Amino acid sequence: MARARVEQQPAATGATLVVMVGLGVAFLLFMAFLNVVKSGNLLNESNLLYAALIFYTGAGTLYLGFGVTGTPSYVRFASLATWAGLLANTGAIAHRWYEAGHPPFASIYEMLLSFVWTLAVLTLIAEKKYGVKVIGTVTMPVAIVGVVLMQLLRTEVHPLVPALQSTWLHVHVTLAMLAYAACALSFALAMMFLIQDKMKTETFLAATSLFGVATYAGVLTRFEKWGGLSVAAWNPQEKSEIFLAKGMRLFVVIPDLGWLMLLVLAAVAAPFVLYLVWRKTDNEDFINIANRAVFVSILLQVLALVFFLARARDGRYGSLDAEGLFSTSLAASPFILSGLVGGIFVSLLYLLLLWRRTDLERMLPSAEELDRITYKTIAIAFPLLTLMIAAGAYWANRTWGSYWSWDPKETWAAITWLVYAGYLHMRITRGWRGRRAAYFAILGFAVVMFTFFGVTYLLPGLHAYA
Amino acid sequence: MAGNLHSVPHKIWQTLSAIKTGVILLIVVVIVSAAGTVILQRPVTDPDEMQRAYSPQVLHILDGFGLTDIFHAWWFVTLLVLVSLSIVAASIQRFPNSWRYYSRPYKSPDETFRKALATQAQIPIGDEDSGLVAAEHVFQRAGLRPERMVRESSLSLFGERNRISEMAVYIVHASLLLIFLGGIVDALYGWRGFVAIPGGEQTAQLQLHDGTVRTLPFAVRCDAAGQDNYADGTPKKWWSKLAVLEDGREVMRKEIVVNDPLVYKGVRFYQSSFGNTGKVDKIMFTVTQANGQGAVKEIALGADEPLPLDADTTVRIADFIPDYVVRDGQVYTRSAQVENPAVHLVVESKKSGRAVNVWLPPIPSFEQNSSSPYRFEATDLQMVHFTGLQVSHEPGQWAVWAGVIVMGLGLCVVFYLVHMRFWAVPVRDPRGRLVLWVGGTANKNKDVFEQRFRKLVQQIESEVKVQSESCAPAHATSMAGD
Repeated sequence: MARARVEQQPAATGATLVVMVGLGVAFLLFMAFLNVVKSGNLLNESNLLYAALIFYTGAGTLYLGFGVTGTPSYVRFASLATWAGLLANTGAIAHRWYEAGHPPFASIYEMLLSFVWTLAVLTLIAEKKYGVKVIGTVTMPVAIVGVVLMQLLRTEVHPLVPALQSTWLHVHVTLAMLAYAACALSFALAMMFLIQDKMKTETFLAATSLFGVATYAGVLTRFEKWGGLSVAAWNPQEKSEIFLAKGMRLFVVIPDLGWLMLLVLAAVAAPFVLYLVWRKTDNEDFINIANRAVFVSILLQVLALVFFLARARDGRYGSLDAEGLFSTSLAASPFILSGLVGGIFVSLLYLLLLWRRTDLERMLPSAEELDRITYKTIAIAFPLLTLMIAAGAYWANRTWGSYWSWDPKETWAAITWLVYAGYLHMRITRGWRGRRAAYFAILGFAVVMFTFFGVTYLLPGLHAYA
Repeated sequence: MAGNLHSVPHKIWQTLSAIKTGVILLIVVVIVSAAGTVILQRPVTDPDEMQRAYSPQVLHILDGFGLTDIFHAWWFVTLLVLVSLSIVAASIQRFPNSWRYYSRPYKSPDETFRKALATQAQIPIGDEDSGLVAAEHVFQRAGLRPERMVRESSLSLFGERNRISEMAVYIVHASLLLIFLGGIVDALYGWRGFVAIPGGEQTAQLQLHDGTVRTLPFAVRCDAAGQDNYADGTPKKWWSKLAVLEDGREVMRKEIVVNDPLVYKGVRFYQSSFGNTGKVDKIMFTVTQANGQGAVKEIALGADEPLPLDADTTVRIADFIPDYVVRDGQVYTRSAQVENPAVHLVVESKKSGRAVNVWLPPIPSFEQNSSSPYRFEATDLQMVHFTGLQVSHEPGQWAVWAGVIVMGLGLCVVFYLVHMRFWAVPVRDPRGRLVLWVGGTANKNKDVFEQRFRKLVQQIESEVKVQSESCAPAHATSMAGD
């Protein structure tokens, strides 16, 4: 029996990808080294972070490669790369801590630094202790996105404004990072569960596609004549939208972006159409084409996001309602931005589910085991969330004289807490196990992400500097 | 619940205590709170911005439903009260069962229970007593505090750990109610306000956030206030030296900084802002005689104190403009910030009664600098600063912090303390052999418990073996005696 299985498997050891990734990492590091060696300052924070990014990307590629091909050696090298990335990441944190003279928790940049570090640590723990070997397939992309975001955000060391000089702040943020990293892990485990649970991917395909269609249809309500896309104008001095009259915002038109959005709408709608055809004809080919269409739609969605970021971040555009050029900002289009990011996120989740293979399933613990570990991570995350909120309230009380003032970040932290409280109640009193619990864990992490990024960038409040 | 099962109060009670109701209420709270972070909220956003962001009709509707101040709207408070009631009802309904379970643990398992239990094992033993003694030893070592149960003709053993884990859920829910209670007390009896005290002055009155003025039974004096900067000019620290005065006597003194308030009789004073009043405290000048004779003098001129320069001449500050601008033949100030300061000095002669207006910098058509017997050069400027204090009274916050601590402990018990129960009963197996039936159960983490149980059984087995070996000669003799 064992022999038969060996014969069925291709003899490939997967050396190609390992070598390619290894060469890629070496090449990028070498190029970076050549650039840096001129300036003479080798081990500074941005270089270390860049090294971490390269290693994490290498690890992510190998984990994904493992997800697709199921070659065991990939995982070994992937966790080696994760270790290397973690080392560089630790160096970057140490460097920043030394430079700034305070733990790296003061700005969203510094918090991302700590978050990515915790995530890498937890990935390695989950892999070594619980044997969830492919967890990196989910957590490494999250880490990569985190590091890329860090490159986009400002990096100067800012002295702490008076309100932030408190031990309680450090307690609060440390707890937040631990809790959020645990939430990220529970999300990754829930995804692994769905893979292991042999759920039908077709329904998920239709839902993903419909979500994309709804998002882009919403975005296209801003479609203007000749292919432009209108977005709210932004006054950078006052940090607010520009109003023509009471309740009437001024819109500027970014040329050509409308066409791109229309193209993406077609691309995200295609899988759903193919799904409908499959339902009618029962011909498996259509589902296969639909899956490929999802790939294409992700590429186009990323393209749309990049163009949107590039053009809406700054620049001045004309308006249909007023003379002259006006500037805009990402902050002026929160819903479009979150829609685009959300669409990509959901499509990637689907892609992950597609990687279900028998050899992958053998590499994972059983579904029941994954379900239990998911619950355990949430059992760790929930008390941490509670203490995080409490420490934040205590800090606010010492700083502003009020422990709870319903500012957006506080409110969303409470919402996160309630979502996980709901999960625990449904699990304990209603016996929710398996798939429904996994959906809940995924929802919880989505709310965490919104609290972390969404509130900071999309909603105003006291936490503006965090 | 006594009485008619279909009575209305009973139905309300049933609905309120159902988990479903609780979850639906929580979902509503989540949706409403999320809405409150998207719609601009009243006290935080100033009215102008509200009017700019929403058209009058929309604003009217939002205001009408309380959507512009969701978290203080009566229906939101009602919602939170309903959540509390649901927690209380659900707890009351489930509590008696749990309490019975907690206070009267099931110690002597009967046959039905023994058959149904998922985790169990049977260990062959020589006689009842040695089996129980072996189990007793092992239980003791595992920290299970074994109890011998005697029932009519049968003996058995019971051991358990962390029984408190069964009640932890109630502890957590009670702590949540405690936090709510603190919040309600603060909402009813607490207040928040703001007061700005210029250096050297005192006040007992402050403006509350709802616009009313409150008079404290004591006064607060600001002796000094200041700002320390980082090298790059961003503020590093704001501080104020405060003193509390009761009936004119000083009863307390403290230097407060941003994260370290002054607390007196439950009223807390927080450093929240700092600024200058636009009024001058002192200006330093170097003074030389206009004819070039005499020594150079350094003087410090206070706001309301004329200073003699010689036997005949005095100088005083007539006016200080922190940020001046000249328009239409008038000197105006644009702000209280020291951006573009000008000072108006009056140099007077007692003998002649002549007064000369000196302006620094010299503003044309105002200045008479050249007729002054002295030349002035300003070298330094000290402004009167005010300290902005956030003042709050939160009598309920202790309930909140107590609730938080209890909740932290409660959650640790809920998630990490496992209630484990073990029983050992000597019985005859179907083939008539004497065996020690060992069973165990845990209220969570069942997979880890299985392993633990198997280890315990192994330990009992080896203990039984050791005992039978040491007892073997004794048995032999007694058998021989027969």
